[in-house]
Amino acid sequence: MIVKSDDIIIKTIARIFVPFIQLYALYVIMHGHYSPGGGFQGGVILGASLALLLITHGYDEMRKRIPEGVIILFGSVGVLIYAGIGLTCLLLGGNYLDYSQLSVILHVDPAHARSLGILGVELGVGFTVMAVMYSIFFDISTGGILPDDEKKSSEWGDNG
Amino acid sequence: MTYFMNALSIVCILGGVFFFMTATIGLLRFPDFFTRLHATGKGDTLAVFLCLLGFAIHEGLSLTALKILFIAVFMFLAQPTATHAISRAGIRHGLKPWVKGEERR
Amino acid sequence: MNIFFVAVGLGLCLLVFLALYRAIFGPGVFNRIAAISAIGTKTLIILLILGYVYNRVDMFIDISMVYALLNFIGCIAAAKYLEMER
Repeated sequence: MIVKSDDIIIKTIARIFVPFIQLYALYVIMHGHYSPGGGFQGGVILGASLALLLITHGYDEMRKRIPEGVIILFGSVGVLIYAGIGLTCLLLGGNYLDYSQLSVILHVDPAHARSLGILGVELGVGFTVMAVMYSIFFDISTGGILPDDEKKSSEWGDNG
Repeated sequence: MTYFMNALSIVCILGGVFFFMTATIGLLRFPDFFTRLHATGKGDTLAVFLCLLGFAIHEGLSLTALKILFIAVFMFLAQPTATHAISRAGIRHGLKPWVKGEERR
Repeated sequence: MNIFFVAVGLGLCLLVFLALYRAIFGPGVFNRIAAISAIGTKTLIILLILGYVYNRVDMFIDISMVYALLNFIGCIAAAKYLEMER
């Protein structure tokens, strides 16, 4: 179990840096078509920022701020965005993930609509990658010992 | 004008390389872990700052120079924190500092 | 100016090899972590020099910023793991 760090320097520096790291990750997602980046790379940087918070602040405090249910919900929202855009293109009369059909809704020409469609899909991918990375790190950091387990085994006594 | 800017950038980068060299020689020659952390933590930070300043001056006044200065400020804040974290881990783990008269470790 | 940058890059590569000696032979794990952090810092500058050689500085700035970030996070994670009592 990752014990709580009682060092005020590292906690303060981590708290200062995390918003800027997340802003930089958003920049990497948005500039995917022009410079190295895209959905997966930006999602990894977002997950790394949350992992930095988990390392410096300990397990108990992060469990209060970001419970496990919330982060799984984020992952599902990401997949919903991806599949939702694909189904919208299907409902408008084209193939699955055929972005040029989105020009009916957005009132732009089809080349513009393709560019915006890919941007939306990359955002969904970024959300899901962030959620999965943080969730895996969170589950590994318990070391197999959950606080609920210790409480329950002391309640039941030594019955075997 | 560009001649002067080029000369200033070359001076900054050469200063950065000089501090990199002294930091690496210190990493090899010092007798203990904590003394080596002194060399790496301080020398490398200043050297990176000077090198990035030289690159930013070479670019002139543009968006690229602003991004390079962002990296420089980040390294200036983050590298001493990482050194502090490692040295704290070393003390908690039980390493003892070096006293004059012992052998190299 | 290009030749000057290439010369500086080659000098920094030589310094990386010198720090690699401490990473291989350092007695104990703490010396190795300090050496890897130093190698990461030098790699950051070498990436920017490569950007000048290929004449695409804008692309290599983003890559070097990500590398500085990952170096910092990895160093803190390794130090947190090794903090347990002997």
